[in-house]
Amino acid sequence: MPQPDFRYIGTPVPRREDARLLTGHGRYVDDIEIPGVLHACFVRSPHAHARILSIDASAARAMPGVVTIVTGHELAKWTTRHRMAPPIEGLHPVEMDTLPIDRVRFQGDPVACVVATDRYVAEDACEQVQVDYEMLAPVTDMHQALDPAAPRVDETLPSNLISHQHFDHGDVASRKSCAHRVVEASFSQHRQTHLPIETRGCAAVWDEGRAHLTMHIGCQVPHPMRTQLAARLRLPETQVTIVSPDVGGAFGQKIALYREELTVAALARELRRPVRWREDRLENLLAASNSREQLCRTRAAVTADGKLLALELDVLEDFGAYCFYPANYLARVVAMILTGPYKVQDYAFDVKVVLTNKCGNGPMRAPMAITSWVIEGTMDAIARELGLDPVEVRRRNMLETADLPYTMPTGEVLSDVTPRATLEGALQAIGYDAFRARQREARTQGRCLGLGICTVVESTTYGSAFYKAAGIPGSGHESAWIRVEPSGVVNASTGLGATGQGYETSLAHAVAEGLGVDTGRIRILLGNTDIAPYGMGSRGARGGTAGGGTLYLCALDARAKVLAIAAKSLGLPDAGALRMVDGRVECHDAAGWIDTGITLASVARTAYLDPLALPDGMAPGLDFSRSYDPPPMTYSNATHACEVEVDVQTGGVRILRYLAAEDCGTVLSPVVVEGQQHGAIAMGLSNALLEHVVYDETGQNLSGSLADYLVATACEIPPIELLPMHTPSTRTPAGLKGMAEGGVMGAIGAIMNAVNDALAPFGVTVDRQPLTPMYLRALVRGKSPFPAETR
Amino acid sequence: MERMRITLDVNGVRYPIEVEPRKLLSDALREDCRLTGTHVGCEHGVCGACTVWIDGHPARACLTFAAQMEGHAITTIEGIGAGDRLTPLQQALHEHHGLQCGFCTPGIVMTLGNFLDGHPDPSDDEIREALSGHLCRCTGYHNIVAAVRDAAARMRGHHVDGGDAAA
Repeated sequence: MPQPDFRYIGTPVPRREDARLLTGHGRYVDDIEIPGVLHACFVRSPHAHARILSIDASAARAMPGVVTIVTGHELAKWTTRHRMAPPIEGLHPVEMDTLPIDRVRFQGDPVACVVATDRYVAEDACEQVQVDYEMLAPVTDMHQALDPAAPRVDETLPSNLISHQHFDHGDVASRKSCAHRVVEASFSQHRQTHLPIETRGCAAVWDEGRAHLTMHIGCQVPHPMRTQLAARLRLPETQVTIVSPDVGGAFGQKIALYREELTVAALARELRRPVRWREDRLENLLAASNSREQLCRTRAAVTADGKLLALELDVLEDFGAYCFYPANYLARVVAMILTGPYKVQDYAFDVKVVLTNKCGNGPMRAPMAITSWVIEGTMDAIARELGLDPVEVRRRNMLETADLPYTMPTGEVLSDVTPRATLEGALQAIGYDAFRARQREARTQGRCLGLGICTVVESTTYGSAFYKAAGIPGSGHESAWIRVEPSGVVNASTGLGATGQGYETSLAHAVAEGLGVDTGRIRILLGNTDIAPYGMGSRGARGGTAGGGTLYLCALDARAKVLAIAAKSLGLPDAGALRMVDGRVECHDAAGWIDTGITLASVARTAYLDPLALPDGMAPGLDFSRSYDPPPMTYSNATHACEVEVDVQTGGVRILRYLAAEDCGTVLSPVVVEGQQHGAIAMGLSNALLEHVVYDETGQNLSGSLADYLVATACEIPPIELLPMHTPSTRTPAGLKGMAEGGVMGAIGAIMNAVNDALAPFGVTVDRQPLTPMYLRALVRGKSPFPAETR
Repeated sequence: MERMRITLDVNGVRYPIEVEPRKLLSDALREDCRLTGTHVGCEHGVCGACTVWIDGHPARACLTFAAQMEGHAITTIEGIGAGDRLTPLQQALHEHHGLQCGFCTPGIVMTLGNFLDGHPDPSDDEIREALSGHLCRCTGYHNIVAAVRDAAARMRGHHVDGGDAAA
């Protein structure tokens, strides 16, 4: 892959974290031994919507081993309420109790917490807590939620429509009126959940003497978590430490401070004893966090040859019962970047988000996951209606290098992206023309092959300027420190929260490159707020650019000082002719680069132990810190190609081939990046084919086990071919762009488009997920395929 | 609930412990034997993270009561490999980047380690079938399959160099 003159960045070094994880010596939250720890367990609402009339915990309290049982009343004294009120037009402010006091809003809503000496006892006691409910009519459907007569999920709001934004750019109406046709398409994405294999959990340890809380919690954003937890407990941030150990996956589920975690922390302080909670899988499926459940509709005004004149998007999202995030947050990104790879300026969107009596939504690996399916499905719909080749329609509308930088109608600026290159790369690799010939041949034998193409433009790193423009309080910066120790080994830290991405490896590459020392001497310290600098943590795909970029810049600072010290030792006027390679200082002369005999270790000894030998005015030590605010937004891009066969007798979908051509800029670690691509693609395929959080019309969750909420196994996921087509960004340190969510976006679009392509002879289209055999059978039942030569 | 005295034989070490009859083997291993490498992902036998060997055969520790294990030899992830040396499967998982968050990994090492003993030259389909009792949310399984294939080759005496992780 074309990367400029890097020695360490981009080298395929196996991961540093593996040895402990392979041998059972990882340390996840529940592995941490805490003497005298108590166990928390939550009593949860069996109803989707009900008034809490009374809670009788006397029988439970009398059970041996039960320490205490608390409800929303106690928590209201010990903690502050959660207020979600960013100044965003069309978004209603909301508040939430730490535990519900009067009313429960979904099945699984926690109403009481039992603390006992043992988890088994705590669960027994939960069953003895008697809660009297008055059942209320629930809202379980996003269309029903909009009915003025519908019950209100949050009584403080005028209606269930918690957020509504409209946007218009250009003149969509006149473009539509002069268009050859307006092509309409619909995209319904079902409710899903993150499903980290390690569920949520935490262990809170209160140090009475120091009035200090240590919160062990698997967490993507240690510092923002500390800020929130401290505020809700009315503690100064100096009195709270977040320690996030090894984390068994998160995918967006471990960002917010959840009510259970706050309850456990408050209990540890009140009881003056350590308390831990390990969510079980039923709780995780019912009550952790949901995502998606969006209905998107597009109307594309096009010319007869498929040129896109204008585009309209409607989004309706079911956000569930509670707002741990601004309710517009997920859907707005979809609308903001929808046009992605295509040139169109006349664009309008209408985005509505409603509350229902379901588990609340949160960002799940690609909060904007539906985006690429919507735009690429729209391209396919245009091709279908106009009788054009879907690839030709894409080519006629796609951004070319000469168009960059390109300001999208929403004001987002695309630069350093290569959608046309990845499209052509993927088409060539999959053998597009040969596939069409095979498809025709297969159709004559009654077999339904399909090829889905999906080009992705993925928003990756959100800078502060983006947040400011979006009206969201907060920052997109990241922070880092690097300390070269007196022996010449290197400790480094940043505010990211590792949840399995391999940061200890990939970030070491960034430090190695900036400093000029091999990765083996670098240790990356993450997840402890007493050690890490205050950064914004891991969300979106910001780890590489924000975290890696900051560390790289910090390492350049470190190298400059190291070389200045070396120059003084060598009697040189400055460090202009010096460089460091593998921890050894080299000097350039007529013969080329020669070793000076000076090493990072010898410079470190001087810096710490012989400061009088330093250049005049230089401070002792080799301690560096730095923060960095990325551009308003960075983008990566990719094209996915998926070949399927649909068995129309059974409705089964078999993936015959899957490949993705991706440009995510400079790659810190190809090992880690390829792993992220595989994982994201697999998640997208699993999402689209199998996963489904099912609520019935009374608001009962019907997918409370892994036998009901289906996740793809190795038998459903195909081998994945990757084409690296990376080009560095011109706007970030080392050319980083960020990645890891686009794979989900591309996979969802590619599989849907492939199935539509396969079913084309039947004249039917899939416009909702999951792609169950029942759904596909219902579509083709009683229909006979068109003659094979229709395409 | 009344406790029972039992002795668990885990990785060749005898652990005399007192447990309620209902205590799961997974919890007894983690809490009473302090062997936390056996992970609990679902407690209903689907995800496979808690897989251990009972008398040499893979089994779900979350579907087994500790009290049933008197007289049986249990092997956990901590008992795999010799000292600090990784097994060929563990080494291949490392070199092929067959793990990310690592939470499902011990269970996979237990199941596939046993599988390789009976399948010295497995096809990819056989590997995927053997792996299908484990949910991995991070890797997409691609590199795990490559690692198992390579581990089999190493155990047969051929080392397949590189693999996808180095591509």
